[in-house]
Amino acid sequence: MKRNLVGCLFILLAVGGCHRRAAQEVVVYTSVDDVFARPIAERFEKETRTTVRLVPDTEETKSTGLLNRLIAEKARPQADVFWSGDPVRAAILKAKGVSTPYRSPLAAGLPQQFSDPQGYWTGFSARARVLLYNRNLVPEGQEPKSVMDLLDPRFQSKACIANPLFGTTSMHAAALFAVLGEEKAKAFFEGFATNGGKILSSNGEVRRRVAAGEFAVGITDTDDANVARFEGKPVGVVYPDADGMGTLIIPNCAVLIASGPNVDAGRRFIDYLLRPEIEQALAESEAAQMPLRPGVAVPKGMTSIEHLKPMTVNYTTLASQLETLSKGYLKEWGDRHS
Amino acid sequence: MISCVALERPGKWRAIGVTMLFLGVALPVAPLLWCTVVSINSATISVGHAFSGALYNSAVVALFVTMVSLVVGLPTGVLAALYEFPGRTVLLASATLPLLVPSFLWATGWASLAAHLGPPAADLISGFTGCILVLSAGAIPLVLLISDAATIALSGSQVDAARLAGGEKTVFIHVSRHVATPALLAAGLGGVVTLSDPGPGQILGLQTAASEILTSFSALYDFPLAGRQCVVLAVLVLAIAAPLAYFTASRLASQVMARQSRSARCIRHRKMVGVTAATLAVLVLGGTVAPLLGLTLPLADDEAFLRAWGELSRTVANTLLYAAGAGVIAAALGLLLAFCAGRNDRLRTVCVGMSLALFSLPPALTALGLVQLATTAPVWADPLLRSRLTVCAGLGLRFFPIAAVLSVRAWGSTSPSWTLAAAVHGVPLWMYLWRVTFPVLLPAGAVAVLLVALLATADISTVLLLHPPGAQSLPLAIFTVMANAPESLVATLCLAYIAAAAGLLVSLWTVAGMSKP
Repeated sequence: MKRNLVGCLFILLAVGGCHRRAAQEVVVYTSVDDVFARPIAERFEKETRTTVRLVPDTEETKSTGLLNRLIAEKARPQADVFWSGDPVRAAILKAKGVSTPYRSPLAAGLPQQFSDPQGYWTGFSARARVLLYNRNLVPEGQEPKSVMDLLDPRFQSKACIANPLFGTTSMHAAALFAVLGEEKAKAFFEGFATNGGKILSSNGEVRRRVAAGEFAVGITDTDDANVARFEGKPVGVVYPDADGMGTLIIPNCAVLIASGPNVDAGRRFIDYLLRPEIEQALAESEAAQMPLRPGVAVPKGMTSIEHLKPMTVNYTTLASQLETLSKGYLKEWGDRHS
Repeated sequence: MISCVALERPGKWRAIGVTMLFLGVALPVAPLLWCTVVSINSATISVGHAFSGALYNSAVVALFVTMVSLVVGLPTGVLAALYEFPGRTVLLASATLPLLVPSFLWATGWASLAAHLGPPAADLISGFTGCILVLSAGAIPLVLLISDAATIALSGSQVDAARLAGGEKTVFIHVSRHVATPALLAAGLGGVVTLSDPGPGQILGLQTAASEILTSFSALYDFPLAGRQCVVLAVLVLAIAAPLAYFTASRLASQVMARQSRSARCIRHRKMVGVTAATLAVLVLGGTVAPLLGLTLPLADDEAFLRAWGELSRTVANTLLYAAGAGVIAAALGLLLAFCAGRNDRLRTVCVGMSLALFSLPPALTALGLVQLATTAPVWADPLLRSRLTVCAGLGLRFFPIAAVLSVRAWGSTSPSWTLAAAVHGVPLWMYLWRVTFPVLLPAGAVAVLLVALLATADISTVLLLHPPGAQSLPLAIFTVMANAPESLVATLCLAYIAAAAGLLVSLWTVAGMSKP
């Protein structure tokens, strides 16, 4: 009996003791896809001999995600850095008092409109919201040019978007409200539903189903679109509204967590993320993220931000607009049409 | 010295023990529910416009899943336990495979297969029908396993007597009646767990209560709203579960006056073997092979295989640890609950009802509660509250209701005459528990550990919210790469995971088969 109890105690200590941390480490929570974030974390580990404990997120539509964990851990966080795939999550952390300002010296040269003016988050490498179409279903010369083309009768019941309550689609929805105004934005969403547009669970689902030919066109992010292209799917990509309101740019954001356990290592990791070579590495990865810093080389065939017309939005105010929309019109619209 | 008779006597300590246990299990939920309670005022009493519709959808799906899993799982489990044939172990392992796979993967597999088959299949595998199909595929193995275990618990002489009286048909009918109560409870648990599973609804386009709660958490970051929705869901489940609990608790396991030393054995009856094999094959084809095809249609290449191998080797130890830890914790709590409830019908009703209600709560509620608990706790508590042990505890608490139901049933099937005999001979209570009760309950405990471990393997939400940085499980790793990884990598990962799970199941069924007399 005594032996068994000692055994149980030993197992308990062994299991529990596994939480012991390395002397030099940084804990990074990230909503950037694991396949893109992990190689960067491994490069940092090799260069600085600091262990990176990466905690990647699932898609928001698939489980109660990391942002909730960060908010719940606010009083005594485990994370040092949140590497966000978009500014909205970063802004939510700021609003909830989870993050703290940090102005990295490596941020010099990055365009300021993609960062928080108070330094709560710094934007770097970006994705864009694009139209992904199936080349077998959309004849050459008839490609969609604007998100408004999803209301065109030729795409009746053949267009799809991800759930506008989640992720970058929610941010895109808020941006449309900001740029078009409430009336026109609502008209867009109502028109999309009237035209038989379908709401799918995620941007990845939009990519899969457009690539499979179930839908002719959908709105997704550049990294999703690039994965489809790398896989040799019959898809084309259009950066929408080049002649109008512009394409929504979604920068990555580096966020320092307030009272994190390894503040200095956290700052070093953020400095590392903001280096030009990391922007270049992310551009060359399957994510094909656009460098925000002027002059960073991009792979051949990749559209750089200089050649785009970015949608003019205030990323800081977008988060609060999104909160109102998510609890109001977007939720109600989703309930009616899902 | 406490006499063994205390085990058979009523006492206030039983009710206190049961209450304390349920309070302990529900403790992690308290912070969020408290946050809900203090936030309630006339302006925020609402649970959202669409929630009532979503709740209705969830209830319909849960009801159908309960019925389908009972109708399919009970006879299959009984047949599988009664008849032996070549390939039985592999078929059983394949049939129970959906238990180990997160429903999201299965739903994605079905959706992908439907896309390849064309619009009629896509229409069928969406909305209500799609959700019922996918969720039933997960609930049927639960009923099958419980029915199988309940059949095995029968004595050889009971089965032989039925066989002599009316042949195989009579055996089947009598055994089915015997296992109907635990099977009904398992089906009920299977139905209830669908209420907290947002996956299939999200993918197959049906608004459910679980997806509404997920939206409140992950899109609106409105914890009080999510809390209110959880409370409404739990109250509804409690209201529905009360009659079920009242009906089943007293029948969960009749006490036996003496125990047969010979258990029922599998036989090779030509006709029945054919029926059993065909039933299992249909179940495997429909419940496992079809969605698997959809998941693995993108062919894997060498690079994808290497990357998948990397993920697998990085996460497999954590996956096994979390599963085993959850199983042990849930089974230990379940046995403790059974010890407290004893043969008291009223307490057993409370146990079953509370178990069903607890099972309906979303895993995020317990997990976020544990996160908040750890955050407010001192640093020295981190080895308990911020470690792999916490993940085991979170998963163990999540699946405790299953272990509770199994343990309450097992306790009921022990003989009171043994206890009285031990008391007459002055055997100390601890020795009686250690030498007699514990070995008798061990098989049920092992089944509970196994079942909880299987279910815990497939859990995503709890592990995501609780795992120590760098200690992912394999299903979580699949979910974190599946959004943007090449389809071939995701397919290879899924295949590797499912192959490992199938291997584990085959070995477990083999071990279980070998341990049978």
